Amino acid sequence: MIAYLSNLATQLAIFGILAATLNFIVGYAGIFSIAHAVFFGLGAYAGAQIALLLVPDVVLACLFAAAIAGGLSLCLALPALRVRGEYFVAASLGLQMVAVTLFAELKPLTGGIGGLVGIPLPTLFGVPVGVLPVALAALALVLLATALLARGAFGRTLTAIRDAESAAEALGKNVAAAKTLAVGFACAGAGVAGALYALHTSFVNVESFTMEYSVLVMAMVIIGGTGTLWGPLIGTVILLSLPAGLAFLPFIPPSEVGAIQQILYGLAMTLLMIFRPAGLVGDLSRGRATA
Amino acid sequence: MLFLQLLLNGLQTGAIYALTAAGFALIFGATRIFHFAHGTAFTLAGYAYLFAWRAGWPGWVGALIAVAVATLFGMAMERFVYRPIQRHEGSFFTVFVAAFGVGIVVQNLVGMFAGRGLATVDTRLSFATEVMPEIFVAPILWIAIATAAVLFAALTVFLTRTHAGVALRALAQNPDLIRTYGLSANGISVLAFAIGSALAAPAAIVTAMTSGLNEAIGHHVMLISIAATIVGGIGSLRGAALAGLMLGVAESLALQFVDTQWAEAVSFLALFAFILFRPSGIFGVAMAR
Repeated sequence: MIAYLSNLATQLAIFGILAATLNFIVGYAGIFSIAHAVFFGLGAYAGAQIALLLVPDVVLACLFAAAIAGGLSLCLALPALRVRGEYFVAASLGLQMVAVTLFAELKPLTGGIGGLVGIPLPTLFGVPVGVLPVALAALALVLLATALLARGAFGRTLTAIRDAESAAEALGKNVAAAKTLAVGFACAGAGVAGALYALHTSFVNVESFTMEYSVLVMAMVIIGGTGTLWGPLIGTVILLSLPAGLAFLPFIPPSEVGAIQQILYGLAMTLLMIFRPAGLVGDLSRGRATA
Repeated sequence: MLFLQLLLNGLQTGAIYALTAAGFALIFGATRIFHFAHGTAFTLAGYAYLFAWRAGWPGWVGALIAVAVATLFGMAMERFVYRPIQRHEGSFFTVFVAAFGVGIVVQNLVGMFAGRGLATVDTRLSFATEVMPEIFVAPILWIAIATAAVLFAALTVFLTRTHAGVALRALAQNPDLIRTYGLSANGISVLAFAIGSALAAPAAIVTAMTSGLNEAIGHHVMLISIAATIVGGIGSLRGAALAGLMLGVAESLALQFVDTQWAEAVSFLALFAFILFRPSGIFGVAMAR
């Protein structure tokens, strides 16, 4: 039971980081990426390779993963600079599809469909350590950084770009730099989550980085409430405890739990958008005007 | 010879892409709604045909059911999802998420009731015969191309020669003026969804007979439709259809150099290039976005 709860808590922390970082670009910068699982995956492969080839040091793996995911976030930042709205969603979808093919095909780096197996247990400066405390610390750091960035000048620049890009530019804000930085921060955070995930499960393959996961994280952010600090966390708790809760219902066959979970969150997304577009935590008056 | 074979295969795929993309472009052009559940209409139509076929009904009955299912789905989406959202000035993102949610629900329902994985309709029409040395062609190729051509001709006549068609184009340009002339913007919008969704049905049927369906095929269809609409230029039906055809041919011809799993990537590289260098597309007018 302790092991089960500890596993659930670790998953919560990891997906919490993903949701919080995605919320940073979706909620504050208005960049609607459906490619977050790509950067989660990049971080996971990077962290796994560090642990396999060098040392399974959790901090080193996280830093390397953040560097890789943050660096490659330019793939997402470039279209974000050129287009917005529908066009950008299309570009991020394309990126997601191409990335899954790459993950499955680049066998030397990713192990192909079989994935990377036998990732050693994590250590910290040579001392064995659990992933849970590190993941919780990382989540706290991400939330703190989000709160600070969102409240400061940078956050206000981002919201200004979200609400009226040309107005922000006219006021002398460097739109390109702000967007690139925001995307870089969010993707680096997703990379850290990926490295933690790889060390936690000691096995990674492409199935954890598909569009389903991008959508799951997106659903967490939306159901909780975009542009709020706690909304994405609440969304994460709800969506991750859903399968656990459904497993206890006797009339649902175990093979259909996944499908029913997806149906429930799909329904929740649609109904929320019709009746409460700002999400569970969001401020109603603000959520409607953003575009 | 391989080139000619791939070109023919590409034309068949391209005809399917062109039909779905044109449906999506018609809806988006007229109503400005980013109908992300267009792929879902395709999925529903394909599986409706599959069920009719499994029940042993004649092909034309199955086709009628498929068209009806797609049309009703499109109209229901307009009436029960998009219209309530637009009433409170829903942003692009609100619309997108709502449609996405519907897509997830339908995908999983189809998976639960129709079974997961590949499902195909076996028909004599997809048996290929050797028409030239090393060139294999199935009758379905000509059917796909002819269907696409006939439907485009009919659509062009409808949009230029009938009152409803002209009203539909007017909605794209100036919804307020539509109301001034005493027409119902809501009614025309439903019409756009009905026609646009119906266009996905023949494409879905051909796909069911050739490469087969799976419950997640809506994503792929959606991505191709968006790619074709953007590459062709938003607001241009002709552009979307042409771009759909080109993407199908490009995906197929690329097989000469790469393995099948990369075919989809070819479309996205094209989309990516257009977004970075020419966001207004081939036929598009420059737009502030």
